[in-house]
Amino acid sequence: MRSFFRSSSPFRLSPFRMLVSYLILGFWAFLILFPLYWLFITAFKLPAAVNNGPFYIPFVDFQPSLHAWEYVLVEIGNDTVRLFTNTVGVSLISASLALVVGSGAAYALTRFQYRPKVGTVLVFLGCVLLAVVFTVLGVPWPLAVAVAIALFILSLFTIARRFKRALSNNDIAFWLISQRILPPVAVVIPIYVVFQQLRLLDTWVALIITYVATNLPIVVWLMRDYFASIPYELEESAQIDGASRFRIFNQIVLPLSLPGLVATFLFVLVFCWNEYLLALFLTNARAQTMPLAVVAQNATRGPQWWYMSVLVLIMIVPVIAMAIALERYIARGLLVGAVKG
Amino acid sequence: MATITSTISAPTTRMRISRSEQLAPAAFILPAVLVVLFISIFPLILSLFLSLSRLRFQAGGLELQFVGLDNYRKLLLGNEQKVLFGTLSEPSLFGWAILAFVAAMLGLTVYRAVRRRAFRAAIGWLFAAAVLLGLTYLVVATLFAPAGRPGTLVVTMLYVVVGVACQYLIGLGLALLCAQPLPGRRFFRVVFLLPMMITPVGVGYLFRMLADTNKGPLEPLWIALGMQDFAWSNNAWGARIAVMIGDIWQWTPFMFIVLLAAIEAQEIEPVEAAIVDGASSFDIFRHITLPAILPVSTTLILIRMIEAFKIIDLPNILTNGGPGTATETLTLYAYRIWRALDIGGSAAIAYILLFLVTFIATLYVRALRSRLGTT
Amino acid sequence: MNPKKIASLTALGALVLAACAAPPTAQPAAQQPAQQQPAKKFAGITVNAITFSGPQIAEPMQRRGKEFSELTGATINVVTVPFADLYQKILNDFATGTNSYDVIVFAPQWMVDYIEPGYLEDLTDRVKADPDLQWEDVGLFFRDFSATYNGRIYTIPLDGDFQMVYYRTDIAKELGLQPPKTWEDYLAFAKAVSEKKLTTDDGKPVYGSCIAKKKAAQSYWMVTSVASAFIQSQGTGQGAFFDLETFKPLYNNEAFARALEIYKETTQYGPPDEINLDVGDTRGLWTAGQCALTIDWGDIGTLAIEEGSKAKDKTGAVILPGSKQVLDRKTGKLVDCTPELCPHAIDGVNHAPFAAFGGWSGAINKASRPEVKDAAFAYLSYMNQPAQSNVDVTIGKTGFNPYRVSQFKNLDNWIKAGMSEQAAKDYLGAIEASLNSPNMVLDLRIPQNQYYQGIVLDGAIAKFLAGEQDIAATMKEIEEGWEQKTEELGREKQLAAYRATLGVQK
Repeated sequence: MRSFFRSSSPFRLSPFRMLVSYLILGFWAFLILFPLYWLFITAFKLPAAVNNGPFYIPFVDFQPSLHAWEYVLVEIGNDTVRLFTNTVGVSLISASLALVVGSGAAYALTRFQYRPKVGTVLVFLGCVLLAVVFTVLGVPWPLAVAVAIALFILSLFTIARRFKRALSNNDIAFWLISQRILPPVAVVIPIYVVFQQLRLLDTWVALIITYVATNLPIVVWLMRDYFASIPYELEESAQIDGASRFRIFNQIVLPLSLPGLVATFLFVLVFCWNEYLLALFLTNARAQTMPLAVVAQNATRGPQWWYMSVLVLIMIVPVIAMAIALERYIARGLLVGAVKG
Repeated sequence: MATITSTISAPTTRMRISRSEQLAPAAFILPAVLVVLFISIFPLILSLFLSLSRLRFQAGGLELQFVGLDNYRKLLLGNEQKVLFGTLSEPSLFGWAILAFVAAMLGLTVYRAVRRRAFRAAIGWLFAAAVLLGLTYLVVATLFAPAGRPGTLVVTMLYVVVGVACQYLIGLGLALLCAQPLPGRRFFRVVFLLPMMITPVGVGYLFRMLADTNKGPLEPLWIALGMQDFAWSNNAWGARIAVMIGDIWQWTPFMFIVLLAAIEAQEIEPVEAAIVDGASSFDIFRHITLPAILPVSTTLILIRMIEAFKIIDLPNILTNGGPGTATETLTLYAYRIWRALDIGGSAAIAYILLFLVTFIATLYVRALRSRLGTT
Repeated sequence: MNPKKIASLTALGALVLAACAAPPTAQPAAQQPAQQQPAKKFAGITVNAITFSGPQIAEPMQRRGKEFSELTGATINVVTVPFADLYQKILNDFATGTNSYDVIVFAPQWMVDYIEPGYLEDLTDRVKADPDLQWEDVGLFFRDFSATYNGRIYTIPLDGDFQMVYYRTDIAKELGLQPPKTWEDYLAFAKAVSEKKLTTDDGKPVYGSCIAKKKAAQSYWMVTSVASAFIQSQGTGQGAFFDLETFKPLYNNEAFARALEIYKETTQYGPPDEINLDVGDTRGLWTAGQCALTIDWGDIGTLAIEEGSKAKDKTGAVILPGSKQVLDRKTGKLVDCTPELCPHAIDGVNHAPFAAFGGWSGAINKASRPEVKDAAFAYLSYMNQPAQSNVDVTIGKTGFNPYRVSQFKNLDNWIKAGMSEQAAKDYLGAIEASLNSPNMVLDLRIPQNQYYQGIVLDGAIAKFLAGEQDIAATMKEIEEGWEQKTEELGREKQLAAYRATLGVQK
């Protein structure tokens, strides 16, 4: 009995601990897998099998049917393929761009010290306000923007200089994350108008720019901590050897923070993949993405659970595959318990 | 917050500041700042304008009629007040106790700031205390009062507090377990990631299917518990719990994966040394692991908290905000009236949300910074 | 980089921007290369249509669109978006001048919000000049009310939406019950079924009445279906929502209170989670055989005969139950029906069938190019013509319900679709009775009706059903909410619009 509760060495887990761990982990895994199982079998059920009460086991409780798959992949197959391609393309590109731009910014926020003057910021805000007021009053927007920029540059060398008080890196970081606070419903019409004026509606470009911009704060915040934990001495010696910042960043810092990069990439990918409201408004026929198809299954007839399940499954599979492939990079092999597994 | 390890590398007199070194600070940060500015600044200001006006569709375009603070007045003081704040009533004894406790803590903080002669901080804390007390009273008078009914503001805060707390604790527990040298833990790691991968509307519909008392898979369970006639969707708390369960199910992976990466990124020597010294797992966790993951944890909670305030898909799809207004959140409220063309009112709600979350986030960041001792 | 350089670069950028000061033009519709065959009327023209994601409505649009292309050479693109966001998407597109759509297939209830700012094309002359359309065959109600605003035609109906009550013929026979004629009958029927505690053959309970009462879904139509019989008795032109002179809401009086009582009582005989069921759930319950009564649009008829349905050949339909007491608008009291008060009463019962939602119709964007508008009209007309329409309405999947007189005169199509002759007679009889009723209720179509119904009415009813407030408080909330919006938008304007939709000349 004693050997059940004790382990053979301090570095290994006792069987008791292993049992308890498996029980808890197994329980949570069941909580996750059961709903997914339900989703999976619903994709194979006829409407009657869904409406007439819970049926659990295919071939035993109900006859599985491929009608939902046939509908999604054949009848509206062209649409499904187009939506899927759009989702994949937009998400991958957005996540990659966000990662590149965001990690650069995160690195900068941990290594450099910025002191943007309060005066500059206020003047900038004032000029934007002016531009918006002009546009609302009827002035064509390129003219308003040009006037605002000119005013800004002028005041940059006069008024802004007056106020000495400056903000810090943390304020910049906070400003970035505060962009996530406003719910999409509040910003969707303005963003729509911006892209309409730029003639970019219903294109990948509009979606990519929007997704990169909305997800940058997350990338910055997550990567900041990873970069901060990399000791500066490594970079210092490279600097003394004459390497440029860019090289240091690319060749020393990034490889060391690979787990963080991979995890962040996955997050942003998932966020872009699954986003609904902005995709709805910024797209028309050509650039529509998969979440729109999922919501669309809630027709006036009521939710068509079977089609919805098929679409959700189609949406999850690539992301899961990617997660499995990238998961090994998230764990760097340093484990509590110290046995390399 | 994250420890900033150093300032700009101070060149020694022997080094020239190279061109790239000069450009680097700007080059690294400007792309991010510009992109975010481009997308965020116009909507922010336009939303502000919208919240101060009434939008109408006229021949030839949109007509914005400036109405000043009327939208806010309607929400905070007028006939929409009940939806936002709920029905306040006399708090129970327990409720009064909570209020007293919070007041005492805040008073102590202000007092301490004054003692330290940090007068600016004291005034800041005074202002924060006023708002916090107001919010606490709102919570107490609706949730801990027998006759009170919480409005969208309190319901949103409830989802955030309970949701984020549960997600963090469960995520941490799972991460710690998965960081152990268990055979087969890769399987668990992948499985635990899954819920986050499903599109939020998909999760909403999934849970609606699951929770259906008539044809959902839990039907035998309900019958076994004698609850087959109980409609969770009819019951205010039943519906809220359903939403919270869905939310926790969906977002625990977010906490899990980040915490797991942080736990595994710890330096191994201190841990090994502690084990050799005979420290228990609990001690190792408390003295080594926890401090190491604290910076990441605080970031994580902040990010997740900001996202949680925007929760909309689950209450929308499960109950459309019902029964009555029991599960409606601020964002759902804004979305509902936005669809009915009250764009000004919707923008006003969004701005109220903005003030609330900025306030809480600032408070959170400041409180933590002073605790963690970073600048 | 010194400040001067920065300044000059940005100034250059500003100049470039100022040079792009050309105002945006409406996106031109894409051109197809001209077809080779001559005499294809609309060769080379692309029509962009938008509706909600089907398969209802979208499927027949695409199918008929292809046929139309074969016949005329035009290309029809059907764009779909989720139903809940269709209204906003269309409005956004028109209001911002993007004009991506030439044809919109939408709910006529939203018509006013699109007509007032001048987005929709006036179709009156085109309709008059089109004999193939057989406009006279379209039901009177849809012709004169649904498609018209202020005397001009703006939409082509493709579908007829009104609510009816469905009942289980087998249960009625078993329990010796008659199909309900008044709402009191409905309650009695539901109560009798509920007390019997019937079950389906796989052990599921059968509920007396299943009504979709979910918040922010269809509940606000259901309650109007119940209430209208108490409120409107003098014909469609009397209106069922507001007073014709003062525009005061008619939802705060004895009549509406009685309707609320009835509405709440039906919950007792329904499934336990009825207030979270939307129409998809109640339809599911109906085809699973678990409901004895329900209020719904025409879909139940065609759904019941689908494969796997347990209600096949057991589904009967009646015109919406009425009331023997109606509102006397002068006194505000609920009084018994008299020949003067209820001229359209049948056997002393005032019926007011409710054309909830209106029935999907097609309209044309005024800002489209003339040749595109011609093609668009021909397309809508094609779908609407009896040859196509009469087949489509018998297929449940299309989402099109009958709206033409010829559609329920001829039972053949229906029997071919799988209905028994009795069921077809029943179903079509109920539709006919509703369509021909001179007291049909037109759904609210004033500007921002979404707010009046979807926010104020729906919110108040949801709280009432959840037990958060009583009848008096509910009615007060509705009245106050409506009045406040009316004041905001201008009472005279709203009154004028209301009267215009009812065809009431001043």
